[in-house]
Amino acid sequence: MAQIYPGTSQVAQNRRNFTNPEYELEKLREISDEDVVKILGHRAPGEDYKSVHPPLDEMDEPDDIVRELVTPIDGAKAGDRIRYIQFVDSMYFAPAQPYLRARSYLSRWRGIDTGTLSGRQVIEARERDIERLSKILLETEYFDTARTGIRGAGVHGHSLRLDENGLMFDMLRRQVFNKETGKVEMVRDQIGVDLDEPVVLGEPLDEETLKAKTTIYRIDGEAYKDDKEAVEVLHNIHVSRSFGAFDPNAGW
Amino acid sequence: MADKKFIDAMKQKFSEDPTEKTTQFYNMGGWTQSERKTAFVNEGKEIAEKRGIPMYNPDIGTPLGQRALMSYKLSTTDTYVEGDDLHFINNAAIQQAWDDIRRTVIVGLNTAHNVLEKRLGIEVTPETITNYLETVNHAMPGAAVVQEHMVETDPLVVQDSYVKVFTGDDELADEIDSAFVLDINKEFPEEQAEALKAEVGGAVWQAVRIPSIVGRVCDGGTTSRWSAMQIGMSMISAYNQCAGEGATGDFAYASKHAEVIHMGTYLPVRRARAENELGGVPFGFMADICQASRVHADDPVATSLEVVALGAALYDQIWLGSYMSGGVGFTQYATAAYTDDVLDDFTYYGKDYVEDKYGELCAAPNNMDTVLDVGTEVAFYALDQYEEYPALLETHFGGSQRASVISAAAGCSTAFATGNAQTGLSAWYLGMYLHKEQHSRLGFYGYDLQDQCGAANVFSIRNDEGLPLEMRGPNYPNYAMNVGHQGEYAGIAQAPHAARGDAWAFNPLIKIAFADKNLVFDFSQVRAEFAKGALREFEPAGERTVITPAK
Repeated sequence: MAQIYPGTSQVAQNRRNFTNPEYELEKLREISDEDVVKILGHRAPGEDYKSVHPPLDEMDEPDDIVRELVTPIDGAKAGDRIRYIQFVDSMYFAPAQPYLRARSYLSRWRGIDTGTLSGRQVIEARERDIERLSKILLETEYFDTARTGIRGAGVHGHSLRLDENGLMFDMLRRQVFNKETGKVEMVRDQIGVDLDEPVVLGEPLDEETLKAKTTIYRIDGEAYKDDKEAVEVLHNIHVSRSFGAFDPNAGW
Repeated sequence: MADKKFIDAMKQKFSEDPTEKTTQFYNMGGWTQSERKTAFVNEGKEIAEKRGIPMYNPDIGTPLGQRALMSYKLSTTDTYVEGDDLHFINNAAIQQAWDDIRRTVIVGLNTAHNVLEKRLGIEVTPETITNYLETVNHAMPGAAVVQEHMVETDPLVVQDSYVKVFTGDDELADEIDSAFVLDINKEFPEEQAEALKAEVGGAVWQAVRIPSIVGRVCDGGTTSRWSAMQIGMSMISAYNQCAGEGATGDFAYASKHAEVIHMGTYLPVRRARAENELGGVPFGFMADICQASRVHADDPVATSLEVVALGAALYDQIWLGSYMSGGVGFTQYATAAYTDDVLDDFTYYGKDYVEDKYGELCAAPNNMDTVLDVGTEVAFYALDQYEEYPALLETHFGGSQRASVISAAAGCSTAFATGNAQTGLSAWYLGMYLHKEQHSRLGFYGYDLQDQCGAANVFSIRNDEGLPLEMRGPNYPNYAMNVGHQGEYAGIAQAPHAARGDAWAFNPLIKIAFADKNLVFDFSQVRAEFAKGALREFEPAGERTVITPAK
C-alpha cells in the first residue's frame, strides 16, 4: 500500500505528490518577487522588513539544547514579524484543497503555522519566509489563476458556482479576467486594497489540466467511493479510533 | 431529479437550473435585492434620526449581496423566508420555544401528599387535589394566597403561567377537574399512552409553567424557585396549614430539591449557569420536549428532524451563538439543518436504504459492520448530491453546514437500522471522516475538532470516558463550543426511539409535560412554528404592551 496517502486514483496520486517533499512541484508561471510582495500587501516593494526582535546572533540567549538542535529559519534569524498568505480553493477542481495544503505544508516546510477551514487555508511564517513560500505557492501547481483565490478576508467562494468566465466568486473581486488578454489579473492585494497597477497572474488552466491535477474527489471527476483502497484505509481508521481503547478481540 | 426533496427549494432560490455550474455575480443590486434588508435600512435611518446616533447601514463593511441573497424554505412547509427572519431575535417562535422550556419545571406531589397523609393525618382526595390546583393556578402567575397586603402581578402580563398535573392512574385523572389535567390518553397514540402510564404509575406530577417574562428578566434557575415558593404557599392555603409548621419545610424541600425535574442541569462554574439554562439540557431531554413522536408516530424521519430543528435553533442559535459566543453568525450555520428539505432528502434516502437492505427498521445487527455499511452509503449519497447539484452546494456554502447535514443523515439512518443511538453516533463520526477525505475540507477550526477525536469515546459509558447519547448534552466535553452539532446529536438521540416506536427517548415525564395544548409554542410542529415566527404571524407570550405606553 502506498505511503503518505492511500488510494489508486489520480487524485490520491496527486495528494501524494503534493505531500511528498521529494516530489518536485511543477512550475506553471513566473511571478516576480516584487509582484509577490504586492499581492501579499504586508510591505511596499523595497521597504525594509519590520522586526519584532533583534537578529538572533545579536541576542544573548541562554544555552538550550533545543536551540542547538533546531536551525532557525531565515526570518527568525533576522527577527522578522509573522505574516501570512491565505488561499481559497474552489471545489470545482482547483489543484490544491484545504487539508491537502495543511498536510503538504507540514511535510515540506519548517517554521510555519497553518490553519484549515472549509473555505480558506492560511499559512503564517516570518515575513521573508512567507514571501519565499508564497512565491512557490503562486508559481507552481498549487495555484490556478481562476479557481484559487488569494484572500486575507472576505473569503466566501469555494463552494459557489463559477462566473461566466470560469472564475470563482469573490465579493471583493481581487482577481479579474481580462477578456482581451485571456489572463487573470490581480487588481487588489489579498486583503482587498487596490493595487496601483494590476499584477498579471496568467491564463487559467484548462478544465482537462485542472482535472488531471486536482486533489478533490468529485463524482464528475474521480469519485472517492470508487477509490476502494482509500475508503478501506479510512474505514480502518474509524474502526481503530472507535475500538482503540478496548479489547479488539472481545469487540465492544 | 423529480424525486429529490430539495429541488423545489433550489428552483425557488436561484434562477438557473439546479444542475448548472455557472451563474452571474456582482449585478444583483447588493442589499437592495432583499426586502428585509431594505426595510432594515429605512428603520435604521429613522432610528438614527430620532436618537442622534448612527445605526444600521449595510454600506459599511464588506459589500452585502454581491451574489443572490437566497431565500430559505422551512423544511416540510411551503414557507419561504429570508435568512434574517430566522435569527432568533427576529423570530418570536424561536424565542417562545426557549421560553416555554426555560419556564417549565416538573414537580411531584407525591412527597407532599405523603407528608399530609402520613405525618399530619390529612386526607388527600381528588377533590382536595383539585382545590389545591385551583389555588396554585391563582398563585403561580404571581398572586398572593396567605397574606393580605401583598403586591401581585398583572394577569395580562403573566397569562401564560399555569400548573397542570398528570398521572398514570386513569381513575384518579378522571376525578380531578379536567381543566388541570394533562390527559395522556387523549394526547398520545394508544400504545405510547399505555407505555407512558405504566412508567408514571400512580404518582402525580405537576407540569409547572412560570410566566415567560420571569425567565426573560431573571434566568432559568429562577423557575424552580418561583415555582416552589408558589407551590408552598398554595399548599399552606389549600390544606389549611400553619405557616411555619414543620411540614411546610418538607413541601418546600420537595418542590425545590427532592421531587423536582429541571429541564436543564446546573452547569459548572466555568460556564456559570443555573438549572434550566440551555447548556444543561441533555439531548434526550430535547428529544422528549419535542412532540413530533406522538403526531408522526409512523415517520421516524419527521420525528427525528423536528428534534434536529428544535435543537439547532436552541442549542446553536441561542445557546452557542449568543450565550457562549456572542455575535450573529450562528444562524447561518444552524438553519442548514432545518431548511430547504435537504436533511429530509438525505435521511429519507437512508431510511429507504435501511428498509431495503435489512427488511425493516431496527433489524440490522447493532455493530460496526452496520455503521460502516449504512454510514458510508448515506454519506456518499449526500456528498453526491452536492456535486450533482451546484445549487445545493451553493445553498450550503459553508463546509460546516454540509458536514452537519451529511453526518446527521448518516447518524439518524444508522440509528434507524440498529435501534441504538451509540451506533448512530459512530456513523456521525464516520460521515465526518468520509466528507473530510472526499473534499479535503470539513468545517472551520473549532467546528471539526470534536469530529476528529469523538469516535474514541462513542462506545464507552464509564465516568469521564463517555455517555449514552441521550444523556450527553451541550456541556459534554468537546461538545461545548461547536455549532452545527448539538441539534443533530439530539436528532440522533431521538432516531432509534422513533424507529422502535418508543413513546419517549429518555424521560417519560418530560414527554408528557410537553404534550400540552396550552403551551404557547407547539412542540409537535417545530419547523411550521418557526415559519410562523419568520412570517411574523406567531403570537408570543409575556409581552409588556399592557405595562407600556400605548402606540
